Amino acid sequence: MVRFLIPAVAVLLFLVEPEFAMLSPIEVKGQIFYLVPRFLILYLIFISIYYSRQRAVMYGLFFGVLYDVFYIDIIGLYSVLFPLVCFLAGSIVKVIHQHLVVTTTISVVLVAILEFILYQFFYLIDFTTIPLSDFLRSRLLPTIIANALFLMILGWAFKYLINARVLQRAREVS
Amino acid sequence: MPHFFFNKKLILLLIGMVFLVALISFSLRERTNATLPEQIIKDTVGVAQSIVAKPANYITGVINNIDSLLNTYEENKRLKARLDEYAAVQAEASDLKSDIKKFQELMDKSESLKAYDPIHATVIARNPDQWEEKIILDKGSSHGVEKNMAVMTAKGLVGKVTLVTPFTSEVELLYTNNPNYRVSAMVQGDNQAYGLIEGYDKERNELIMKRIDSRQTVKKGQQVVSSGLGGIFPKNVPIGEITEVSTDDNGLTKMAYIKPSADFSILDYVVIAKRSATTIDGSDGNTSNEDLTHPQKGKEEAE
Repeated sequence: MVRFLIPAVAVLLFLVEPEFAMLSPIEVKGQIFYLVPRFLILYLIFISIYYSRQRAVMYGLFFGVLYDVFYIDIIGLYSVLFPLVCFLAGSIVKVIHQHLVVTTTISVVLVAILEFILYQFFYLIDFTTIPLSDFLRSRLLPTIIANALFLMILGWAFKYLINARVLQRAREVS
Repeated sequence: MPHFFFNKKLILLLIGMVFLVALISFSLRERTNATLPEQIIKDTVGVAQSIVAKPANYITGVINNIDSLLNTYEENKRLKARLDEYAAVQAEASDLKSDIKKFQELMDKSESLKAYDPIHATVIARNPDQWEEKIILDKGSSHGVEKNMAVMTAKGLVGKVTLVTPFTSEVELLYTNNPNYRVSAMVQGDNQAYGLIEGYDKERNELIMKRIDSRQTVKKGQQVVSSGLGGIFPKNVPIGEITEVSTDDNGLTKMAYIKPSADFSILDYVVIAKRSATTIDGSDGNTSNEDLTHPQKGKEEAE
């Protein structure tokens, strides 16, 4: 049961993301803020940290390809960045402590890096013309806040689910 | 041995990089159609997405309803004031309609630029990373959707179809950075002024209408509709209201800022307009991001 729950949650998050994207951009006092939901990659980072780096990279590749084909029509962008972020997360966690607060912070920082790389890429190919300062203010900061909130609410649930799977696997092995 | 292994990894990495660059440049090329594997993925994800979109749309609908319920009193007052005008306007409208019919019979003209067959569609997804302003609909070529069709809500024009697969279609919204995305528009009034909607102002969050004849008088508050002269969109689809008029960069033509009448923040149901009159499939620069307005600049950059 738990075995299938892990990919099922990933699929669900993948499908839910664009629904949340419809709530954005929001307007506060005449200023426009873009909130980019990055639920799936946060979840994959958690899998990478608490379960298996290799598994997370595989999921990252799979969902990255889906993301590229379905949403942005540029193949090879997310399908590289998602596995890369998962790989980084799995590697970082080997040298630091796996407390939930620490992992949450790492995940949010990784998402910010991902967002920044994407901005640089889209700036390079002329899809966007906004200057860096605008990007930081109207996109990066709100996105970080929104995703940090999301992770604070659901991070423990991810950890619980993944730990259940790890335990199950340990039992199977023994 | 470890030395050899390291080399193998390095070579793999290099090959991977080359492959990646090739793949990205292939997909960045101007494409008119999605390849078959892409279509399969798009359709499969699209079906799953539309299942998820249903409850999500329902929830946003409920929230909207609550929101409009809170505004009922204000709205009712406003509507009551408008109601008196309504009877007069309706009488005039039916009068005009019969006039038009008569004239059309006189001129033996059956096709109108205004006529279109509506295809109703549900928005199943919005590009989550929001770099391109794009939405995805649950109707595709098997429902009669074609590339370049106009997409609108009851309030006004939203965008146009840029990519079609059998069961989904992608819509590029009016809010786009693409310099080749133009809509032929017309200012409603005693003397109709024509112009082109070209791009939008990020800070004001408004559309820009350019190339209006400087002899025409265009005022703040006038309504802008599509003209149907672009060969793709039907005529008289509302676009928005003029908020400011100024002179173009070169001083020869006027330009106007337009506040769009459609609400772009909450899009759930839209209508795809299949124009009845002959359409042309032309689109500037094949809907690429290549800047045709300033070809000189593009060339300089390339050099």
